[in-house]
Amino acid sequence: MIKIFLLVLYILIPLQANANKEIQPISNLEDLKNKKIGVMLGSTHDAFAHKHYPEADILQYKSPADVLLGVKTGKVDVGIYNNVSLTEILKINPDLAVIDKPFEFSPVGFGFSKKNVELHTQFNTFFQTIKDSGIYDDMIERWTKKGITDMPKIDTPNKNGLLVAGHVSDVGLPFVTLRNNENIGLNIELAKRFAAYLGKDIRFDDMEFGGLIPALTTGKIDFIAVTLMFTEERKQKINFGEPYYEIGMSAFALKKNIALYSRENTTLDSPTFFKNILNSFQSNIIQEKRYLLLWDGLKTTIIISILAIIFGTFLGSIICFLRMSRNKFLNIPAKIYISILRGTPVLVILMIIFYVVFASVNINPIIVATIAFGMNCGAYAAEIFRSGIEGIEKGQMEAGIAMGFNKIKTFVYIILPQTIRRILPIYKGEIITLVKMTSIVGYIAVQDLTKASDIIRSRTFDAFFPLIFIAILYFLISLILIQSLDYLEKITDPKFKRKVRTKL
Amino acid sequence: MIKVENLSKKYGDLVVLKNISTEIKKGEVVSIIGPSGTGKSTFLRCLNLLDVPSSGSIFIDGKNILDKKIDVSKIRQKMNMVFQSFNLFSHLSVLENLTLGPMKLKGMSVDAAESKSMDLLRLVGLAEKAENYPDELSGGQKQRVAIARCLAMEPEIILFDEPTSALDPTMVSEVLSVIRRLAKEGMTMIIVTHEMAFAKDVSNRVFYMDQGLIYEEGSPQQIFDAPKKDRTKVFINRIRNFVFNIKTEDFDFYALNGEIEAFCEKQLVPKLVRANLLRVVEELLILYKPFLNKLELDLEITHSEKTNQLALTCQSEGHRFNPLEINDLEDDIGLKIIKKFTEAVNFEWKDNKNRLELIFNN
Repeated sequence: MIKIFLLVLYILIPLQANANKEIQPISNLEDLKNKKIGVMLGSTHDAFAHKHYPEADILQYKSPADVLLGVKTGKVDVGIYNNVSLTEILKINPDLAVIDKPFEFSPVGFGFSKKNVELHTQFNTFFQTIKDSGIYDDMIERWTKKGITDMPKIDTPNKNGLLVAGHVSDVGLPFVTLRNNENIGLNIELAKRFAAYLGKDIRFDDMEFGGLIPALTTGKIDFIAVTLMFTEERKQKINFGEPYYEIGMSAFALKKNIALYSRENTTLDSPTFFKNILNSFQSNIIQEKRYLLLWDGLKTTIIISILAIIFGTFLGSIICFLRMSRNKFLNIPAKIYISILRGTPVLVILMIIFYVVFASVNINPIIVATIAFGMNCGAYAAEIFRSGIEGIEKGQMEAGIAMGFNKIKTFVYIILPQTIRRILPIYKGEIITLVKMTSIVGYIAVQDLTKASDIIRSRTFDAFFPLIFIAILYFLISLILIQSLDYLEKITDPKFKRKVRTKL
Repeated sequence: MIKVENLSKKYGDLVVLKNISTEIKKGEVVSIIGPSGTGKSTFLRCLNLLDVPSSGSIFIDGKNILDKKIDVSKIRQKMNMVFQSFNLFSHLSVLENLTLGPMKLKGMSVDAAESKSMDLLRLVGLAEKAENYPDELSGGQKQRVAIARCLAMEPEIILFDEPTSALDPTMVSEVLSVIRRLAKEGMTMIIVTHEMAFAKDVSNRVFYMDQGLIYEEGSPQQIFDAPKKDRTKVFINRIRNFVFNIKTEDFDFYALNGEIEAFCEKQLVPKLVRANLLRVVEELLILYKPFLNKLELDLEITHSEKTNQLALTCQSEGHRFNPLEINDLEDDIGLKIIKKFTEAVNFEWKDNKNRLELIFNN
């Protein structure tokens, strides 16, 4: 949530400032050396830019869409991206153009774990087969030359098990994109054909680009179905399958900053505000059934939130019980737990649980997210519960005990109802924080609301609309939660009961 | 019904109760009085194990409740407690405060518990507050609800821990009259209280506790009208005292006068009585003066807030010596003054100690 808010601010605020800044028109690649260059974090473009333009100010973005937005909004002067995808992108962004010619061509292929040599060999054999039969040539022809973007139907029966492919869904055509909530593209077709060849079903886990190799080496995924460029560094960690394409890099910038186009009149008729919104709504939500993506994201966000709240509350009660125990073997571990969990970012805990704790276990990332957020929530909840319980006068407990209740019954009938009423206002805040905190699950390949907006942005390259839209969705979730907790607070007020009774 | 043997309670090194042994019979109303911090409340709280005794044994109906096999919760249901700070359950209405115990502990049905609770609320005069919540009641009302809540559990014994100490003076009587009524109905009760008149009037037996002991016990008449032991007397008569030690002939007479005046001021002694006291002290010291180098004199002035009696005691060690019996005086004006302003003069020589007591008219 905060992330989204910051992004909106980031994009909106400096617009004015940058608009007035004139930069030296770029005529060739040499001119990049003292410019601001946007690249994707951990990509070969990133390495290339650092190596060839040490003087330049290099900004590392997390997704291609962010690189593109950086260029469009003037955060960076130039972006570097793969030349193939860029051709597609430029088609829908007439204000951008490439500088000079593509460069640094390199073979690309899928990545396989060094531990799973068998799968690697199987892929190479399979690749030879489709090359021989002409299927491969046909694929290249369709996706990259003719621009036919329909996926052929490929059966992937679950005969011999499941193949898990890690990929990045927002790379763009011809390799991969989401249309009507389905993955399509050259990568997808190739991976599916490979699965079919093995007689396996296939699942695509959508991840951050930087998380692909760690996920492969820890066994979260079976292979990487992304156009990975062959680099020495990567070769040390993974095995590359037979290269199936060659990709170069292109630098691109706003036309008005490129010498070649700078004299062209690039001002376009700007549509009215409402028409703009309507267009944005059409392209970001309706087109290619993107609302399905948002709907799935919304469901995931809600499921993770609710599970984490339940788990966190349960865990919090246990930790609180241990923390309040007089036995130091119980309360010291609880104290340590609380200070560690409160002293580390949730994102770090989330990654540690996913990549370290459950490294070799095939576990649904939603469960991992539930555990991570629940653990964090539990630490805070434990302290909230404790302050609530300790805030109740000793006399209440004594009165219960003196009456003949045992300790447990006194707690249940006398202490607990008073505690709940006391802590609800603070607990409400904690729960809302938790809901907003879930926006980081994209890091472990869960498609939540934020990730859905990232995917949409990567297709439409519209910064404003998807962000505002999901900001509103998050707000609505929080609002509904606040309302229902307010209601709970109201009905647990003993005097409310009387009001109801007297009305009856 | 309750038998206590050698009950002791220590908090670390601090000994609060020292080997208390006593017995309380069914139907008895016992008041426990005494200065603050002498273990009255601790004694009461030990009886139902809210505080666990350090040693000794407590028998309720012949069962030792310190025995680990005994279910203390069951014993507590028979022996309920009323607290100084009421401790009503703030999340429950008055009626629910009463029905909670019978329903959850005795398995009573809602209807039965509610009708019984309403009867009890009528008994304490609060039936119309049944739907109210504790924070909407006055202190006196809260304490009456707390008593009714106790009664709802049908206890055989009720322990009252300073039930009126947290109340406004105007609300004390409404609570006391409810307790009085219970006493008449034959409920066994142990009451820790500072309300002396009430204790005298309601109880069969009074314990005076001091320094962790039952220092003196007896019928209310014995304890309140004719206490035998010193500390009991001091407490019952609310006696305050002031001691001045004279070692030489050259003692600071003005300091003595100043301190006597301050003491009298504090005790609200009438001005005339104070003037008389000062005169008597002066005359007495003139009589003592020739001997002051040979003996050490303790002057003690005591005042009882209850009887308003002011007394002056002079104590010295050694041979029998009474300054009022000196024969070779130049004149007897001093003696006359002393006689005129005092109501009674007692002299005693015992164990080599002279004790001269002068009691003043009021």
